[in-house]
Amino acid sequence: MGPNHGDDGPCRWVLLAYRMPREPSRPRIAVWRRLERLGVARLGDGLVALPADARTREQIDWIADEIGEAGGSATVWLATPSATGQEQQIAAGMRAARAAEYQTVIDEARAASGVSAGERSRVVRRLRGELRRITRRDFFPPRERDAARAAVEALATSESIEAVTRKERP
Amino acid sequence: MKWATRAGVHIDRAACAWLIRRHIDADAVFVFVTDPSAMPADATPFDMRGVDLSHHGGDCTFETILRRYDLTDPVLWKIAEIVHEADIDDERYDAPEAPGLDVILRGLSMVCDDAQILRLTGPLFDGLYEYQRRALLLNRPPA
Repeated sequence: MGPNHGDDGPCRWVLLAYRMPREPSRPRIAVWRRLERLGVARLGDGLVALPADARTREQIDWIADEIGEAGGSATVWLATPSATGQEQQIAAGMRAARAAEYQTVIDEARAASGVSAGERSRVVRRLRGELRRITRRDFFPPRERDAARAAVEALATSESIEAVTRKERP
Repeated sequence: MKWATRAGVHIDRAACAWLIRRHIDADAVFVFVTDPSAMPADATPFDMRGVDLSHHGGDCTFETILRRYDLTDPVLWKIAEIVHEADIDDERYDAPEAPGLDVILRGLSMVCDDAQILRLTGPLFDGLYEYQRRALLLNRPPA
């Protein structure tokens, strides 16, 4: 599911250019949420991008239709950045956004290490779901990903989270 | 009747093909197109941008077909929740089966062509239907 990245150049992106009426706000917010969930890079006002693969292209197509049904307008494009540097900048932004999400998981796992066994297993279940959701929109994995997985598994097996997350640091 | 959809079928299209054949048109013939403009004139298109039997108002195509054909069977609507989550993954429903089904279909699409996928997923959805039917009757997961 990762980006279609060759070593020799920039990858292909799917771009969604869209406009939606300000009111009613509900469909506008629904679209915003779905785009967030997909982990899009926001390139400008009403312009978002994702590395193109079968799943991202299909999801973006459906969102474009949804925007049309809500009285907005949307076009979907396949694009290649003209300079690799640009792409790296966008990828770095996406990586940082995911890193922050993984870090929240690490912090929550750490905070739950002292609670009762029953409460801890509830937190483990929730954090595993959260990890799955983040990983799904993680196109340029930051190193926090492995640390977050290790922290949640440590919480599941009651290992010391400090010990596993320390191991992950370079 | 002839039905057409996009090539490279995934969960929603596979489930719709099963639904069409089992509950709407037993003699359904499916055509897979790569370019929407290559759509045969005598075919009913589904799960494609801009056609009626497709995503609408946050519904996936499986749900749209249930609505359009007035299929009210609660077992089909239970399957619709699973298909919706496997396809759109927006947490509208609690469907823990969805991620597994999504992976199975993605894997199949790596080793099978579209016709093969429909052949293989037919019994899969028959089984899913039977399971959900029993679950609904018993009001708990069947053994």
